Amino acid sequence: MKASSESGYSLFFIEWSRSRMASIMVALILVALGIAAFVWALRFSGDASPDSITGYSFAISGTFFMLLAAVRYALYRRSRKRAVGKLNGSLHWHMAFGSIGLVLLCLHSFGNLNPRSGTYALWGMIALVISGIIGRTIDHFTPRKIAKAASRALTAQGEDRVESLTQNLQSIVVHNKQEIRTFKPDNNPRSMVDSSFGTPLPWAGANRQASPAGNAKDRGVLQTSWDMAYISLEETPQEISRDAVQYRFVPDRKSALARPGALLPGAYDHINELQQVEKALRHEQYLRYVVRYWRSFHILLAIVTVGLTLWHLEFAMTLLIPVWLHH
Amino acid sequence: MLKMLKLRPALLHKTGSQVAQELRACIGCNECLLACPALTEPITIDVLNRETVSGTISAPVARFAQACYQCGACVSPCPVGLHRDAMVMWLKIRLLARDEE
Repeated sequence: MKASSESGYSLFFIEWSRSRMASIMVALILVALGIAAFVWALRFSGDASPDSITGYSFAISGTFFMLLAAVRYALYRRSRKRAVGKLNGSLHWHMAFGSIGLVLLCLHSFGNLNPRSGTYALWGMIALVISGIIGRTIDHFTPRKIAKAASRALTAQGEDRVESLTQNLQSIVVHNKQEIRTFKPDNNPRSMVDSSFGTPLPWAGANRQASPAGNAKDRGVLQTSWDMAYISLEETPQEISRDAVQYRFVPDRKSALARPGALLPGAYDHINELQQVEKALRHEQYLRYVVRYWRSFHILLAIVTVGLTLWHLEFAMTLLIPVWLHH
Repeated sequence: MLKMLKLRPALLHKTGSQVAQELRACIGCNECLLACPALTEPITIDVLNRETVSGTISAPVARFAQACYQCGACVSPCPVGLHRDAMVMWLKIRLLARDEE
């Protein structure tokens, strides 16, 4: 189980692969060039607006990088000419191109954030990139949480803990049931309880009404399957609270059940542990849904952003085409 | 796209014996590793299979197990319908257990 060269599962594990480093470097260089062009346009160009030459340059290059981010990764994923380990590099370039595209398109706006089609497209792109960043953060931290939840649902040997607990619980129930057969309860209804769970036997009330003196034969223990069906992790409204003090089974000193080892302890502990495992399984499922549907949300946002961008391009063309035709 | 939005029950982890059973069914075609966006260095499927169940975990396999984000991209290309994501989850659990040791 021990590896000689690697420690365990680090929370802040980041692998600095060559493609990650290269994509970060290229993104930083291109963003720096874009900002330099923006500063130059503000200081030395007379027309620093989205529809200036610099503005159009930002728009065209930003759209190009956004398209590159969207198309290149999607196509490479579906390509048959892949090598093991290369798709990760493509993912890094997808993130780098998306970030470069967003910065260039922000620069294209020149701070004009009036509620127009271009602004909606820009907000869409900002939301898209932010959702991507959040998605990567989820991808980084969630699998470790899933692994922790899964390990809680497994035994040390890697088997299903629910099954193991259920078997133990069943053996306790069977043992206690056998012990309770030998137990002669008095007429006190408080003694008519299931020794395993401290709840009153469900037929106790009916028997009390039918034969106040009580009939030991009628109060015989039910079949195992019935008993197992009665075990529920969640309390139904009809069920009397297991933890209520008045229903706890406490054999008196003279009872046969009071002798050491007559009742196997641990039924409550097992039920509590089962509840913990069930909680861990629910948590695992929830985290898996988060990972799965955040990716779908990101793709959905990308489609909305493409639509908003096309709307903005159509708007820009209605302004530009008459100008071009006039010239 | 609509396939992605379809509500499907999330597959939970598998037990050690289930993982071992799946690994025995693996034909070693490498399709899962080719489809994996988390894998940064080339590792072979036989090394991964061998180290998944028991024994020492080498540095590249441990790095892969930590990098895997359970996207499930490896599941659909598998020609025999195995769940490599569940196998890597088992590796993650083993790495966590090593943390606790």
